[in-house]
Amino acid sequence: MKRFLVLVFALGFIFAGCAEKQAVKAEQPAMQETAQKAAVPEPVKKAEPAPVAAKEEPKRVETVPVTEVVEAKPVMTTFENIHFDFDKYNIRDDAKPTLKVMSDWFVKNKSAKMLLEGHCDERGTNEYNLALGERRAKSTRDYLVSSGVGKDRLDMISFGEERPLCKEQTEECWQKNRRVQFIIKNASEGSRK
Amino acid sequence: MKTGVRCQVSGVSKKRKKVLCPLALLLFCSFALFLLFTIHCSLFTAAAEAKVYVDITSPEVKKLPIAIQEFNGKEGKNIADIIREDLDFTGFFLCLDRAMYIESSLQAFNSKNWTVVGAEAVVKGNVNGEQNLIVTASFYDVFENRELFKKEYKGEKGSVRQLAHSISNDIYKHITGENGIFRTRIAFVAEDEDKKGLYIMDWDGTGIKRLGIKGDFVLSPHWSKDGARLLYSSERGGKWGIYLLDFTKMTERNIFEAKGLNMTGNFFPDGDEIMLASSKDETYGLYSLRISESRLTRITSTRWIEVSPAVSPDGKLVAFVSDKGGTPQIYIMSKNGYDIRRVTFEGSYNTSPGWAPTGENIVFVGRSSGKHQIFTINPDGAGLKQLTDRGNNEDPSFSYDGRFIIFSSDREGVNGIYIMRANGESQKRITPAWLRAFGPRWSPN
Repeated sequence: MKRFLVLVFALGFIFAGCAEKQAVKAEQPAMQETAQKAAVPEPVKKAEPAPVAAKEEPKRVETVPVTEVVEAKPVMTTFENIHFDFDKYNIRDDAKPTLKVMSDWFVKNKSAKMLLEGHCDERGTNEYNLALGERRAKSTRDYLVSSGVGKDRLDMISFGEERPLCKEQTEECWQKNRRVQFIIKNASEGSRK
Repeated sequence: MKTGVRCQVSGVSKKRKKVLCPLALLLFCSFALFLLFTIHCSLFTAAAEAKVYVDITSPEVKKLPIAIQEFNGKEGKNIADIIREDLDFTGFFLCLDRAMYIESSLQAFNSKNWTVVGAEAVVKGNVNGEQNLIVTASFYDVFENRELFKKEYKGEKGSVRQLAHSISNDIYKHITGENGIFRTRIAFVAEDEDKKGLYIMDWDGTGIKRLGIKGDFVLSPHWSKDGARLLYSSERGGKWGIYLLDFTKMTERNIFEAKGLNMTGNFFPDGDEIMLASSKDETYGLYSLRISESRLTRITSTRWIEVSPAVSPDGKLVAFVSDKGGTPQIYIMSKNGYDIRRVTFEGSYNTSPGWAPTGENIVFVGRSSGKHQIFTINPDGAGLKQLTDRGNNEDPSFSYDGRFIIFSSDREGVNGIYIMRANGESQKRITPAWLRAFGPRWSPN
């Protein structure tokens, strides 16, 4: 969880510099991946052919799986909301890191399905806002599909301006409300309301 | 259950009571019909001539100076006050201050007492009874020194407002030649414990009732032309469906549901076909639906947003909102989807189109200096007029006589429902301050 948050924040800060951002984006998840892949098979392979080093290896066999479980669970239920500009439904650059993490997560969680909830701020006409919320969900869905997530794993719904996270009349608050929210639909994973 | 015995003069009341109590309805229906005839036959005295006192179709209406005297008897002042409020709101009457009157309510009508105070028409009346009221209203022409009509209205004490509204309707009809809106109702959406439900009230904001429909969210409803049915979109269990409520049976039916966002427009004049916006099968666009056959016809297909279809009163055109030009704007097309043309060009946000009953103009919401205001425009794009300028104003629609516009506004803090004349005059809130209310639509009768 923490690692994930750090990752998101790091990417957010570097957002200003485009070139750098891409480099980091490519690196960090890659590091994460290799670390995990290296960690898991290593003990299995080494434990059998090299019984000589038995003193060190049992420790590694035991510790690595533990950290992996801790890491995987929270990530599954806490995808950050992504945000949109006023009256717009295009995916902003600051949303892309989250979506990248998410498409990676889908690769790992092969049976997972997700509901994409589109929301708007209170300004604007109800019906138009519902359509706007739906388009925000759809842009998000299309973005995830283009990065390899199966279409059938992503459902969409729009709540327009009906479920604001914040009820003050400030730009800060409106920005919070112009969002797509992610609800994991696996039966075993408690969904968030 | 407090079922108001409405004034039997109005045939319209038959439909209204159904909302309140289906059982009482049958009784009243027959009763009302019976009285309808007797009253029409016996009580109209001088309604034969069709003199129009106020030509409300002319652009410069001269208000008719009218004196509305306190009625004698129980609730007499109340009745006179309601009539006064009703007539005053229309903008076609100049209601003279009672302090000016020379003639007392107990005296017989004498035109000399009224010419000096400048009244051209006078209303006098008596109320008899305690629980069951019998109200006799007399309406006089001062210049001609004669009674224009005298009519009897009956009802329970609890239905005194309806009684007074019926008198207003008769006066209005006599003076303008058109039917008044004083017995109409408003269907609207209001919030209760974070859930949005469907509500109904009289046009003056009294008699608010919640309709017991399911679901957490509901959008602005549409009336059928006969006032007996209500069409609306509601989100239930993660699905947006379109529902039809039948007031005669107090039943609700799901008439359309599909994956995606489904939002209903209004009825075509035949009362069976409707327009709707749907993202069914991910083909975004506008559809028509023939309810009796459940037959869906795609009218437009788009990759943009297209919502809020509004069928013109003659059923030939559909106004709608599309962002295909980059911002939401109002467009018009033929019923079959041809001849699409853009209507609004001012501003970057124009939504919620609704037709005037004549089809001569369209009321809509436009964003101006960051706030939402109500505008009217001709279907050809000319004649843009801004009608509101305080707070945010949404969900406008015309009354069925085209004289008034109802809308919602946050100008006084909590979102509430307001009415105004079609030219923007006399804006007033009709819902109480404690009720968060939206999406009003005026009943046709």
